[in-house]
Amino acid sequence: MTQRRIDWPDLLFGLFLICVAAGAFAATARLSGGTAADMGPGYMPRAIAFGLLGFGLFFAGRGLVRPFAGIAQVQARPILGIAASVAVFALLVEDAGLALAAFAAIVIAALASRESRLVEVLLFGIAVSAGAVLLFVKALALPVPIWPW
Amino acid sequence: MELFDNLLLGLSTALQLNNLVYCLIGVVIGTAIGVLPGIGPIPTVALLLPFTFGLEPASSLIMLAGIFYGAQYGGSTTAILVNVPGETSSVVTCLDGHEMAKQGRAGPALAIAAISSFFAGTVATVVIAVLSLPLAALALKFTAVEYFSLLVLGLFAAVILAHGSVAKSLAMVLLGLMIGTVGIDVNSGVARMTFGVPALADGLDFVPVAMGLFGLAEIMANLERPETRQVVSQKLRDLVPSWADLKAAFPAMLRGTFIGSALGVLPGGGAALPPFTAYAVEKKLARDPSRFGKGAIEGVAGPEAANNAGAQTSFIPLLTLGIPANALMALMIGALMMQGIQPGPQVMTEQPQLVWGVIASMWTGNLMLLIINLPLVGVWVSMLKIPYRLLFPAIVLFCCIGTYGISNSVFNVWLMLGCALVGYFFIKVGVEPAPLLLGLVLGPQLEENFRRAMQLSDGDPSVFVTRPISALLLGIVVLLLAALLSPAVLRKRKQALSE
Repeated sequence: MTQRRIDWPDLLFGLFLICVAAGAFAATARLSGGTAADMGPGYMPRAIAFGLLGFGLFFAGRGLVRPFAGIAQVQARPILGIAASVAVFALLVEDAGLALAAFAAIVIAALASRESRLVEVLLFGIAVSAGAVLLFVKALALPVPIWPW
Repeated sequence: MELFDNLLLGLSTALQLNNLVYCLIGVVIGTAIGVLPGIGPIPTVALLLPFTFGLEPASSLIMLAGIFYGAQYGGSTTAILVNVPGETSSVVTCLDGHEMAKQGRAGPALAIAAISSFFAGTVATVVIAVLSLPLAALALKFTAVEYFSLLVLGLFAAVILAHGSVAKSLAMVLLGLMIGTVGIDVNSGVARMTFGVPALADGLDFVPVAMGLFGLAEIMANLERPETRQVVSQKLRDLVPSWADLKAAFPAMLRGTFIGSALGVLPGGGAALPPFTAYAVEKKLARDPSRFGKGAIEGVAGPEAANNAGAQTSFIPLLTLGIPANALMALMIGALMMQGIQPGPQVMTEQPQLVWGVIASMWTGNLMLLIINLPLVGVWVSMLKIPYRLLFPAIVLFCCIGTYGISNSVFNVWLMLGCALVGYFFIKVGVEPAPLLLGLVLGPQLEENFRRAMQLSDGDPSVFVTRPISALLLGIVVLLLAALLSPAVLRKRKQALSE
């Protein structure tokens, strides 16, 4: 009987840090490092990346030898709903105007929850969108179109 | 009587009609988000930042500060009535406050919480006023060397005193520093880590990062849990606490204020650590500790006083040294920078009206909160009836609009989305995102001072230990780390944070 190993949170966090450090090394590869007395633009990013790499290796290594620890179940619906809502807002806001973008964002965000009810969401969406237009465009003078035309 | 003059100057700023209005707006918004679980002061302040751009610097800070300490009041209302802490700082208030409510003493519990908060807020305002001058005077003598060491100490202390694993938090600080280097390097004019994206040339804005990590990621995680909320429904009569209640609560209030003021000044203190400490102290000092957890009024008064005092004194390092004690103060630094004010010890002498105005506004704000919270408690309770399923789409929308509004850039909205996904990942692997924000905001300052220090010393790193003040500051860092590695402290810290 072997004991289950691998502390997943530690391992994943460690791998994440290693990826970030690798990305930083790749991005700063062509920048000059300079010397400590006269640092080039690449000095600090690379120094920090070394630190991140160290931490990443530490956590990943520790995660491998530690006893098992799982990650709470990931549910796709909230992530997809919220992400889609933000993405649709970003795509619509400048071309279709705030009113439509806001309404779409509310309705799509509501899909993220199982408890949402259709009619309620539609009415709430209209009310909040109207409120957002009044508050941000009329009162706070945010320079964004309200309608697509 | 320089102190007196300063306070008068501050009051004259804080009592201007428009500043009173902004203060009121701040504390009302603060109370509202404090009452509502699921949205905290960090995303709210981040959301409102873009719109403070047109305000006077003093008005904008007065309003944002109001949100922060207003949230502490609101958080305790939910804690007492619903047993759900509106903010992390009011977790301990649940223990005895909700117990009192179940025994039909919700009125006195709310009243004692509000009175303790007001008392602590008033004392903390004076503490800030007294401590600010000498600290700022000391800090003016700092060169790049000392400033770098101070920033290092600030970051370490913030990490060590906060929740969660220290190693992970340090890694998060580094991650924040890393993100902070994105953009054009000030000294050479070369673009770093921008991956050829022109929108990144000015660096990453911290508002989308904060909103993604704290606002949206939190919502994604919240939606995975089914909603459970039970409001203690009883008529809130007898808001006036009895004489015996007041007498029992007063010493706890005093101790809580003292603990909160002391811990709030420390980096990383803020509003989260003091109430836990105050509760532990009250339990230890009580003649009959078994009463705690069963509706002891000291268990409400002490932590409530501590959390408000801590929330306010955490402004001291910000106002005098330009160093944020926690993630929220980091946002305040951002607010200052948006106004074109470089945070640091010179702010105190160059903008006395701003600094003292903000300090004095805390007192007027606390007075407003007392009125907003006691007679109007019914309004806030009815707000709790808004279901989360309606609340969260609205929060998502406001985050989108707020992020877009900083510089009218769709890129920032996409950035926020990316940060939300990363933030969700952080929640899943159990890492606190707050240190990242600290690193991000302090990163540029840290690099700038480090470079300047190294230029001064001609590349010799020993300069940090040969200068006395710098050596002392770094010595404290080493001491903190050493203490942390000793098993006894490790065990105690775990205990203190889990209680």
